[in-house]
Amino acid sequence: MTLTTMLSTMAAGMARTTGIFALTLIGSLPLGMVVALLRKSRFGIVRGIISVYIAVIRGTPLMLQLLVWYFGPFYLFGASIRGWRFPALILGFIVNYAAYFAEIYRGGIESIHIGQHEAGEVLGYTKAQTFMRIILPQVVKRIMPSVTNEVITLVKDTSLAFTLAYQEVFSLAKQISASQTSFMPFVIAGVFYFIANYVVAFAMARIEKSMDYYR
Amino acid sequence: MIIEMNNIQKQFGDLKVLKDISFNVDSGEVVSIIGPSGSGKSTLLRCATFLETIDGGEIIYMGQKAAHTDAEGKAVYVSHKELRNFRSYCGLVFQQFNLFPHYSVLKNLIDAPVHVQHRSREEAEKTAMDLLGKMGIADKANSYPYQLSGGQQQRVAIARALAMKPEILFFDEPTSALDPELTGEVLKVIRQLAEEKMTMVVVTHEMPFAKAVSNRVLFMDGGVIVEQGDPKEVFENPKMERTKAFLRVFER
Repeated sequence: MTLTTMLSTMAAGMARTTGIFALTLIGSLPLGMVVALLRKSRFGIVRGIISVYIAVIRGTPLMLQLLVWYFGPFYLFGASIRGWRFPALILGFIVNYAAYFAEIYRGGIESIHIGQHEAGEVLGYTKAQTFMRIILPQVVKRIMPSVTNEVITLVKDTSLAFTLAYQEVFSLAKQISASQTSFMPFVIAGVFYFIANYVVAFAMARIEKSMDYYR
Repeated sequence: MIIEMNNIQKQFGDLKVLKDISFNVDSGEVVSIIGPSGSGKSTLLRCATFLETIDGGEIIYMGQKAAHTDAEGKAVYVSHKELRNFRSYCGLVFQQFNLFPHYSVLKNLIDAPVHVQHRSREEAEKTAMDLLGKMGIADKANSYPYQLSGGQQQRVAIARALAMKPEILFFDEPTSALDPELTGEVLKVIRQLAEEKMTMVVVTHEMPFAKAVSNRVLFMDGGVIVEQGDPKEVFENPKMERTKAFLRVFER
């Protein structure tokens, strides 16, 4: 296998990695907010369910969760899992990352001084208006460093997709390395991940900077 | 009457913070509330501005009942929607300013008028600029709160409350978070509002200010109004022993 073939095969894998990454963020960033808000629900049962969910997600390996998502339907319901590989993968990632984002959001929301809520209330804003106009913008600014951390971790976590034999860049690197008895695929994969994270860090720094106009 | 609060009771757990307090304010009146910390002054303001709910008694704004006590002796409020209407009658200036840090000074002043009261942006901006001018900080319209001194921030907070055109403005220790040299500029603004006959209730520890500016002084202690009346009378010739003891501390 020439280096060019290797590179182009692995670039296709990197595109799939990017796909997992993007879909996970699109799903988990908003879902995390829903979870964070439900965690503060006035119904005890809802709060209970949410804290069990977060405890289970944080207390078990993502790799195991992916396997459960993929094989669960077969072992639990005897359902066919044909074509289920990619949906299971994305679901596993979204549900996992939403739990972590939810905790980051919760920390952010709780860190906003009560006076901000009260000022909104006295000025006649509805609860939803106070949250959207006053609280959330400040939360976003405050949690950016933690979100950046999580997003960078996600770039690397996408490699866990190899557990379900999904052909993203890490699975391909392993396969090609074994079949070609070459170390090169690992080097290429490493460079790909590094570049991806460099781009992520750069983009996040730009977003953080755009909120620098206030303290 | 702008506001009437009758037989207000408020309790946090087992602690009775307001014990059957009755209190009203007429249009154009400036009332100062003094008293030791924990006496219920702030709680009274927070009940008047609906940040806290009362356990018993009634709150009446402009002759309309916002809350009353039902047959079982429990306080009942009007619906959430109606309550928003009542909120528009009153403004509150906090000890900690509580400006919105992500909004410019101007936006702090126009956001609620535009998004809560649905007034036109143009009109809200004009009102806001007039108010900032009056507060002596028109040049800060495009600054952000963190760029201002404490005294300037509190003046913005006063302007933000006034931008809603309330019938009555409550101040919860407006100068307690300020350095002594910044206190003066905030008190000056409140004094100016008093001259314009703005109806105000000020919880304060600034005794000379309370004496000079208010029409009436209330001394609260232990959840009750111990004494009230003409500021000159209360300060120079207090009737109650507790008032005397409290004022003596300030004379030292």
